Amino acid sequence: MSTTTPTVDPRWRRILGGGSSAIWYATILLFVVSPFIAGGSLSYSAIVGMLPFAAVLAIAAVGQTLVVQQRGLDLSVPAMMAFGAALASGLPQWFGWAPGLAIAAAIVLPGVAGLVNGIVVTRFGVMPLVATLGMNAILLGTVFAISNGTPAGSPQGLADFAKGKIGIVPTAFVVAVVVIVILGFLAQRSIVGRRLTAVGVSEPAAAAIGVRVTLYQTMAYAAAGATYGIASVLYTGYVTTPPLFFGDSYLLPTVAAVVLGGTALTGGRSALISTGIAALFLTQLGQLFRSVGWPEPLQLIAQAAVLLLVILLRAIVPGIVARRRRSAAVANVTA
Amino acid sequence: MTDYTITTNTPSIVPEGEIQHGIVALRLTGIEKTFPGVRALKDVHLEVTAGEVHALVGENGAGKSTLMAVASGALMPDSGSVEIAGTLLSGASPDEARELGLAIVRQDPALLPELTVAENLAIGTGRTGRGGLGRAPKWAQEHLDPWQMGIDAKSRVSDLSVEQRFIVEIVKALALKPRVLILDEPTEHLNSEEVQRLFRRVRELTAASTAVVYISHRIPEVKEIADRVTVLRDGAVRGTFDADEVTEAKIIELVIGRALDTVFPPKTGVLGEPVLTVAGLGGRHFQDIDLTVRAGEIVGLAGVQGNGQADFIRALAGLEPASGSITIDGAAVRLGSNAAAARAGVVYVPSDRHGEGVFLPLTVGENIVMKTLRKVSRWGIIRDSRIAAIAREQIERQAIKTPSDRTPVASLSGGNQQKVVLARTLLAEPKVLLAEEPTQGVDAGARVDIYSILRGAADQGAAVVMLSSDGVELEGLCDRVLIMSRGSVVAEVEGDSVTEAEIARAALTSTAVRKRDGEGRSGSGRFRNWLRGDHSPAAVLGLIVVALALVVGSSNVFYFSPFNFNNLLFTAALMIIIGSAQQIVVLGSGFDLSVGPLLSFLVVIASFFVIDGGNIVIGIGLMIVAALLVGFVNGFLVTRFNLNPVVVTLAIALALQGTLFTLRGTPGGIITPVVTDLIFAKVGFVPIITIVAIGIALALEWALRRTRWGVELRAVGSRKDAAERLGIKANRVHLVSYMATSLLVMPAAVVLMSQIGIGDGRPGLSFTLTSVTVVVLAGASIFGGRGSFIGIIAAGILVAQVLSVPTFLGLSGAWGYWLPGVITVGAAVLYAQLRKIRRGA
Repeated sequence: MSTTTPTVDPRWRRILGGGSSAIWYATILLFVVSPFIAGGSLSYSAIVGMLPFAAVLAIAAVGQTLVVQQRGLDLSVPAMMAFGAALASGLPQWFGWAPGLAIAAAIVLPGVAGLVNGIVVTRFGVMPLVATLGMNAILLGTVFAISNGTPAGSPQGLADFAKGKIGIVPTAFVVAVVVIVILGFLAQRSIVGRRLTAVGVSEPAAAAIGVRVTLYQTMAYAAAGATYGIASVLYTGYVTTPPLFFGDSYLLPTVAAVVLGGTALTGGRSALISTGIAALFLTQLGQLFRSVGWPEPLQLIAQAAVLLLVILLRAIVPGIVARRRRSAAVANVTA
Repeated sequence: MTDYTITTNTPSIVPEGEIQHGIVALRLTGIEKTFPGVRALKDVHLEVTAGEVHALVGENGAGKSTLMAVASGALMPDSGSVEIAGTLLSGASPDEARELGLAIVRQDPALLPELTVAENLAIGTGRTGRGGLGRAPKWAQEHLDPWQMGIDAKSRVSDLSVEQRFIVEIVKALALKPRVLILDEPTEHLNSEEVQRLFRRVRELTAASTAVVYISHRIPEVKEIADRVTVLRDGAVRGTFDADEVTEAKIIELVIGRALDTVFPPKTGVLGEPVLTVAGLGGRHFQDIDLTVRAGEIVGLAGVQGNGQADFIRALAGLEPASGSITIDGAAVRLGSNAAAARAGVVYVPSDRHGEGVFLPLTVGENIVMKTLRKVSRWGIIRDSRIAAIAREQIERQAIKTPSDRTPVASLSGGNQQKVVLARTLLAEPKVLLAEEPTQGVDAGARVDIYSILRGAADQGAAVVMLSSDGVELEGLCDRVLIMSRGSVVAEVEGDSVTEAEIARAALTSTAVRKRDGEGRSGSGRFRNWLRGDHSPAAVLGLIVVALALVVGSSNVFYFSPFNFNNLLFTAALMIIIGSAQQIVVLGSGFDLSVGPLLSFLVVIASFFVIDGGNIVIGIGLMIVAALLVGFVNGFLVTRFNLNPVVVTLAIALALQGTLFTLRGTPGGIITPVVTDLIFAKVGFVPIITIVAIGIALALEWALRRTRWGVELRAVGSRKDAAERLGIKANRVHLVSYMATSLLVMPAAVVLMSQIGIGDGRPGLSFTLTSVTVVVLAGASIFGGRGSFIGIIAAGILVAQVLSVPTFLGLSGAWGYWLPGVITVGAAVLYAQLRKIRRGA
């Protein structure tokens, strides 16, 4: 049966929403060794340059976590990000929208696209993979249509905001912290969050206590869409003129961050805050590779390797631990 | 038909002229089996002689199925021996038992739903070798026809009714010409005429000196068919009798025994107003039920398992669709909505505790408050201190044995898990409490607690409906008991007559005939059968291709030019090959997101060798090796470590992308015309490569239907556990499917590199989506097991055509994305709905 042992969660872990404590240690370790691998990678300018990208990835990965919690996988992340960016930058530039309105649209409309994903998956019984892959293509087409093939520039106000600092901390990072803490808090401490967990753990059990299973699942997809929107707005502001299809490079990292954060791909408990930490880890790792001169394509390989390594360890380690324990128990008996 | 007459091929040790009646065919000696907490079998001896029907009767949980699992080699006994036709079974090996001549027909048939009846019979009897699959339909039909169930050997098992599936399982067992045949509750799904047909066949078998073990609840049927009867109760044999010399009453007495040592809370008998009123309720497996339950009353639902009681109680909880009306405290409740039932005050305690009752990984505290989160929160925010307080209070009050309220519920014993469920139920202050088998798998101590919890709930004013297969418990707890048989209430006992004996008599002697929904449906015409088949999407897609051509062609005459047809078919070749590649892995219920990047990767490899002055042979060889290697890595990681195929192939996809851009950051390496000219060769306006692609698809289609590889692939994709039970090595089949998929990307890469002419990694990447689009359009079940490569040909042509539409209609580039996206989602939704309608029919 389950290998869970009756341990008592430490308080901090309950507050932060569980997940893998390994990623916290790994992240601390990474920052400690960084200066030894590449001098200057812990300098103020390096950190400040890295944090906005970590922020964007963290927010998007939190959305992916919500979908994975419901035993789905969202392959529409690339187009969702591109869609949000095209709305935030394209609507003011090509259609003369007020920047504020465009930013609202860039968050709400990906949310609507997520809602459609959710409805297609839950109401119509389409496999999440197929639904989100299809949605990815549809949104990329929409991006193309909005921009007419040319990337637009971020509204000045948004760029100033995203590139700004609060004290010495980049605003984008502060936004990420606020968004993730709020979502993490809701996931962990609200009625809605608990019901999402219940549905993710077991649809039949949730149905048996009267939870509207499809409604909650659909909500998870919609909320995920909105977080991709927020992430893309920040990205737009920070890089000023985002390439049309920049989102392609965000699919694997979001999945990797979810897995590293400790949310199981089989659904159930989500670890939103740990996902955020994993995003920080992945971004710093990339930064490190870059500073020792690895080209971009090699980074892809490194990310893939990290992801495969982690899921492999997850699969192998519990078995080894169980075998150790068993042989230890046998040894105790025979001793 | 003649297959059943078994000629005696064992050495004749009986007097001449007499066939081997009387020889012991199955001998069980001193069987003991203990499961954690339960002694399931206690020193069981059983002898079944050749030529007899030996009935095994007993209540649910008496140990009948456990005993037969031991006899068939599926379960290892703690001690004791199994002897089949004179040979001792050396260990728990179903294969060995089968070889010794034992066949078992289980209540849950090991059938592969997406395969045809003939294919199932072929796999089950080991006829998948050379030519076996080709002859299978004719052979299977000959064996099915005597049963007059209207089963077409070519129809898919998932389209059969429950009773038809059961007959297929029987035919499969009989085809093995067993010496010992075990039938586990064979008449549960059959109507009276079918039961008689089964009995005739059983008599034919015994006349040919097969030994038959007949497990059943239904005493009248047992009296009719059996020569001898053995009664099992609480894991021990209570006696073996000649069927002619024992009365029905005697059997019933032995079956139920008298072990009323459990303490029940007193029935208070103070009933309030009616709370729950059910009128004319009907649904799946039950019909036309009227029922009124008053406050403070406990009403039992009894009957032999599978007679609609469970469906009825689930319909009351809103978990199954129903028609009729349910009223609670005078207000009508919307049917078929779990949320509406919950709002009206219905609380349901399911019987499948692990699947439906508790949230296994969550803590005891979380489980206890999960239904009443509002009580532990303010403004929608939960307070952990309140959870802990309530949880501790409940743990104490219901005597739940747990280290703490933060222990995962998975580590509790069954009885304590059930108390957690009941604590949760009581916290919700139910108006109507529905309990399904509340004490199943619960130890004696916890039982007593659960009884008083249920009675306590009634005393608090709840109307309680309890489904149980335990007569003692119904007698001790219920004010009134309804007995159901074949979906209807056939008897009702009340007051002093609520006794175990009375309940058992009513249930066991019931001869109600099941109303069969959709009777005569099996005689559907050829056209409908074809619609259900794998090939119907191909024809539909063909029509769409023609229609689309006419529409586009009418606005641009150039569309019908040979040049355009040539272009279209050339692109289609690529689509067909890449679609076929994805289809293979999907048939085995896997998924491969790396086909696009692999395609690009192979093109990049080619651009270093397949160039003017390069070594073409080495280049082609490297491409094949690389493809096989990638397929192996995918398959190895997925099968060896049981990893999620989507994540594995996604990671491999990105790694491939990184590698190929490292090799060629910018396009370079002109592909040699020697190869491209070859690829572009055509007959008339038809590119030869398109003919090759269609040939590949047709060859795969043939292999899928007629070779062992194909049937095993579909078997594994259809139902992995059943396939493994039938002796198929599922992991190897999966691994090979990943390698075959990657290998097929290789010819696609040759086509693509000729089309783009230069080592460029970018164009290939989008082909992952394209491959999925083709597969989805082809109508394959993305959950594995079914699909056709004919459909892939049609879908490949359609996708190629759709991609060319924007150019011809002068649409913007956005349509190049919209069209594939919309048709992928659209087709997936459409096929999912079709499947739902089919299943509902």
